[in-house]
Parts: sequence; C-alpha cells; structure tokens
Amino acid sequence: MFLEIKDLSVKIENKNILKSLNLNINKGEVHAIMGPNGSGKSTLANVLAGKEDYEILNGSINFKDNDLFDLNIEERAQEGMFLAFQYPVEIPGVNITPFLHSAINSKRKRMNEEEIDNLSFAKLLKSKASDLGINIDMLKRSVNTGFSGGEKKRYEILQMSILNPDLAILDETDSGLDIDALKIVTDGVNKLKTKDNSFLIITHYQKLLDYIKPDYVHVMVNGSIVKSGGSEIAAEIEKDGFQKFQ
Amino acid sequence: MNIQDNYQKNKKNIFFSENKDIQTYREKLINIFENDRFDKKNNESLKNINLKNFFDFKYKYLISEETSVINNNQENSYSIVSVNGQCLSYKDDKIEITKILDEDYIDFSKNDIIENNDHFVNLNSLFLNSGFKILIKKNNNIKIKISNIITDDDLTIFQKNNYICEEGSSLNLIEEYENKNNSTSNILNVIKLEKNSQLNHFLIQDNSSNHNLIITTHSSVKKDSTYTQKVYNFSEGYVRNFHYSELKEANSEADLQGIFFLKDNNTSNNKTYVKHLAEDCKSNQVYKGILNDRSKATYFSNTHVDQVAQKTEGYQLSKGILLSDNASYFSKPELKIYADDVKCSHGSTIGPIDENAIFYLRSRGMSKIAATKILISSFINEELSSIDNEQMSEIIQKKLVRYLSKVK
Ligand SMILES: Nc1ncnc2c1ncn2[C@@H]1O[C@H](COP(=O)(O)OP(=O)(O)OP(=O)(O)O)[C@@H](O)[C@H]1O
Ligand SMILES: [Mg+2]
Repeated sequence: MFLEIKDLSVKIENKNILKSLNLNINKGEVHAIMGPNGSGKSTLANVLAGKEDYEILNGSINFKDNDLFDLNIEERAQEGMFLAFQYPVEIPGVNITPFLHSAINSKRKRMNEEEIDNLSFAKLLKSKASDLGINIDMLKRSVNTGFSGGEKKRYEILQMSILNPDLAILDETDSGLDIDALKIVTDGVNKLKTKDNSFLIITHYQKLLDYIKPDYVHVMVNGSIVKSGGSEIAAEIEKDGFQKFQ
Repeated sequence: MNIQDNYQKNKKNIFFSENKDIQTYREKLINIFENDRFDKKNNESLKNINLKNFFDFKYKYLISEETSVINNNQENSYSIVSVNGQCLSYKDDKIEITKILDEDYIDFSKNDIIENNDHFVNLNSLFLNSGFKILIKKNNNIKIKISNIITDDDLTIFQKNNYICEEGSSLNLIEEYENKNNSTSNILNVIKLEKNSQLNHFLIQDNSSNHNLIITTHSSVKKDSTYTQKVYNFSEGYVRNFHYSELKEANSEADLQGIFFLKDNNTSNNKTYVKHLAEDCKSNQVYKGILNDRSKATYFSNTHVDQVAQKTEGYQLSKGILLSDNASYFSKPELKIYADDVKCSHGSTIGPIDENAIFYLRSRGMSKIAATKILISSFINEELSSIDNEQMSEIIQKKLVRYLSKVK
C-alpha cells in the first residue's frame, strides 16, 4: 500500500478534530476530499506533512512502507510527500532559488542521487516558472511576500513541479485562482501525473475536478470520511450541498 | 580599591593630570562615584553589569614597544594600526593625525547630552590614558581603516578619539576591534561633522570571551551633514555600544544601526540617543539582535525633539530573535517631543523564530537546522545587502557563517 491511514484520531488544544479516519491511496491514483468548512481537511493535510502542533490520539499512517510517525517533517518531504498549503506563509528575506535548491538537493541526497548544480537548477526553475506563467521577476522576490492570493497558489505548484513528489496534497489550491490560472495550474498538475505518483486534492468545488479527474471522491464531515465513491459524488455535493451527509 | 585611591595611585600615566581645570572636573566625577548608590534598576548604564568587575578594577596601562602604523597605499585611503589606543602623528594635505589636547578634553566635558550618570563615560574621563585626533580637511573624500590592537593581558585602556570632518569633506571609516587577550577597552569617540560633510562609520566587533569592550560615541552634526553608523557585534566577550548623536543644525541626519550576535553566557548592552536641535533633521535608530543559549541584551533607544526642531523625522526600531528559551532581550524605546510638527515612530518585535516559516521550509525537505539558518540570515538580509563596500560585506558574511555554525 502506498498511503494507508488507519483509524486516525487527532486533537488540538483539547478539541478532537479527526475522528477514526480511514483512507487508502494506491500508487497512480487521484483522490479528492470535499467537506464543509472546519471539518478537518487541512488538519489531515498538516498531520500528513508532519506539523507538530497536533496530538495524535490513535491510529497509524503508513507511507511507502514507512511508519509516517517515524519520519520528521523534512524526511517526509524527502521521501516524496508534498503539501501545497491552503495559506502559504510569507517569508521575508528568503529567496526561492537558494531555498528550493537546497531542498531539492537534500531530497536527492536521501535518494542517493547526484546533486543538482546552481546553473542547472536555475534553468530548471526558470523553465518550470514559464510553464506556469510565473514572471521571472517574481522569482527574485522573497517567498510569498506580498504575493496575491492567486500568485501564492501558483508558486506552490511551481515548487511542487520542481520537487516532483510521489504524493502531492493540494489543499484548496483552486481557491483564489482566476479561471485562466486554474487552467494553467491544473495543466501543470496533469503534466506531472504519472502511473507512479498520487494526488490528494482538497477542494470545495466541482470545477477543479473537471480539470483533474479524480479516481475517488471522499466526503469528510466532522473529522471522519462519511462517504466515498466516484466523481458523481462531487456532482451531488455541487447540487445539494453537504446537508444530507451530516 | 575605591575609585579615588585608584585614580591617585595611577595619576602618573593618566592624561592631563597636571591640568588644574581638568583636576577640578575630575574631582567632580569622583564625587559622583562616591555619592551614587549605583542604582542598577534605574541607571541604564548599569543594567546587566557586574559592578565589581568594572568599577573595582586593577588599573594597568603600558605603552607598547610595537608602534602603531599609518599607511597611505592608495590615494585618499589610509590604514591605521592603533596599539593600546595610541597612534603616531601624521600629516599631509588631506588629513592630520595628532595627540588629543587638554582643550579637546575640556570641550567634551561641557557636552550636555551624555548624562552625568553614564558611569562608563565618567570612568573614561577619569582614567584617560590614550587616544588620538583625526582631522579630515575641507572638501576631501577619504577612506580610513583602523585596526585596534591590544598587546598585553590585564590592560585597562581608557581611550578618547576625536574625529573632525571639515566642511564639504566625506569620510568612510572602518574600525576593527578583534582582541583575544584578557583586557578591557573603554573607548569614547567624539565626532564633529562640519557643514555639508559626511561620515560613514562601520564598527566590527569580534573580541574573544575574556575581552570587554565599552564603546561610546558622541557625534555632533551640523548643517546638511550626515552621520551614519553601523555596528556589527560578533564578540564572544562583553560589549557595550552606547551612541549619542546631536543634530545641531538644519537638514542634518543621524543613522544609528546595529546588529548583535550573542551566544553562551554573553551579554551586550546597547543604547542610541538622538537629540534633534534644529529643523528639518532626520534620524534613524535600528538595532537587531540574535540571541542564543543564555545570552542577554538590552537596547535603549531615545529620540529627543527640541521645541525648535520642527519637521523632524525620527524613526526607531528594535528587533530580536531568541534562539533559546534561556536567552533574553530587553528593549525600551523612548520619545520626548517638544515640537508640534514632527513625524516620529517606534517599534519593537522580539520573539522566537517563526515556527510557521520553519514548518514551511522543512515541508519542502530542508533540514530544521538549515531552515533556522536561512531564517536568521533573512532577518538581517536587508542590512547585509545594503553594505556597499565589498570587502566589508565579505568580512561580515564570514563572521555570520561562523556564528551560524554554532547554532544547533
Ligand atoms: N490551532 C488550533 N487551535 C484550535 N482549533 C484549531 C486549530 N487549528 C484548527 N482548529 C480547528 O479545527 C477544525 C478543523 O480545521 P481545518 O482547518 O482542518 O478545517 P478545514 O476542513 O480545512 O476547513 P476549511 O474548508 O475552512 O479550510 C476547525 O474547527 C478549526 O477551528
Ligand atoms: Mg482548510
């Protein structure tokens, strides 16, 4: 199994957020999670990425034959996990080039691959940026600092396409994107898609799922997955909302 | 030994001890010491200070066999090695280096910006045993680099330097303090900027843990002139940076900036004080600190705007990153405004490194330590990238890398 979440319960500050959550993802699959505000979608994404604020009450997560809880944040990334954040943080004074270069090389090191030199990295970054319609000038700025909502989302996808993860979690990457940007970003995702990598897409809108076809759609309510199925579920939600799942 | 006895005993190698007026002045200073209760709570010059170390000290001074050097290799560019606070005399058609005189001393003793209760300045005035005076002549554009060398252990250097930039001149001054011996330097720089002159003053401080450096600047700035000071403190030993500036005439400017990098048990005390005494003047006071382990720092910033100083712009900022729960940084901004048409602001942000930023960087595969280092560098990125002197910027980068290599 590629990713196996079993009976996961998580709390933060005395509040139970995830409740006996189960989810399995195989290599090459695209899964979508939909759910009302506050149901715990970002919490799940953060727990997968290794954010330390949460208390794991119960359950297990297996990722590529590793007990995920044995890996720290950067080890998870180096093993091929990537989270495109719902709210990417602004980091004044840090430029994407040295930061992402160092990130990709630590991943390559772990995989016993050769490191990428400065020049090749700069080229790679430029070409991926231009694929995603990101202005070269933006690469000179500090990470996310002063970026518009849509720019931040594109920038997340830029990082994703450079790191080329095995499991990419996209947390509401579509919100904040205009219709043209949505097309560019989803094209980027589709280009990256192979039979060896998997996607977990968190969204509120069926629109995104028109561009990136999910194999499975899950409905998350109040910290658990209450229903799973195919893309017909997204259409149901679009029509009737979450009422009947609550 | 009390201060009085200490002074009497060592009089013979203290400057100007024969001058009657100076004697009278010094008696006044001794009285201040004898009557002061050394109120650590309210006296900014005593915060975090081990009183016994600094005020009950063993005086020792010697003039070294190694003489100081002055080099004028490139046009308009001089490099000076000052030994135990002394410097040879030198003269050409652009600059002049001489001993300081009684009258310079008396002139400074009349300043009213440094309060009488700055005990370190008083100590300097009392035990003065070294120093020099550098004059930049009219309309010259000069670069000077001074390396301050101390030759022996247990020396107590009390040094007063005078810098005078004549009308229309400009000076780029780099001072290096890199001492490895067990001694204490108490240095007072008295700076005068005449009309339409400029001084860019860099201070690089990188002493070992057994060396104490107490450095105070008093700059007075006249019409259309600018004093810019940048202090980089990488010292493992105690450093006190207290810098006072008076904007005396219209359209003058003072920019007092500092960055300190502390670790282990080290302490650094900092103060900047700008007095606006004329209209249309600008000031900027920005200190940033990075504190690891059990290190401690204080920073007091003060803007005083006189009643006549309309259209003043005064800006104060203090920022700190605490890399350890046991480190502490106390900062206190103060504004005293007696004019009505002024723009003044102050801000202070001190805290641990941004956990969300660390998480973001790590989630891309960067190690925790690499992420921490990149965030520390970014914290001072603005200051470092604004250094327009390539050699300086290389020196600072190297020292930063050394500091970061100890961050766990
Ligand atoms: N640090 C925290 N302290 C307290 N409660 C928190 C904290 N972080 C998250 N929560 C709570 O956990 C719940 C789930 O939040 P989460 O961000 O996972 O929701 P979500 O499904 O992603 O919602 P949205 O669709 O609005 O993005 C919310 O009720 C939120 O208020
Ligand atoms: Mg969310």
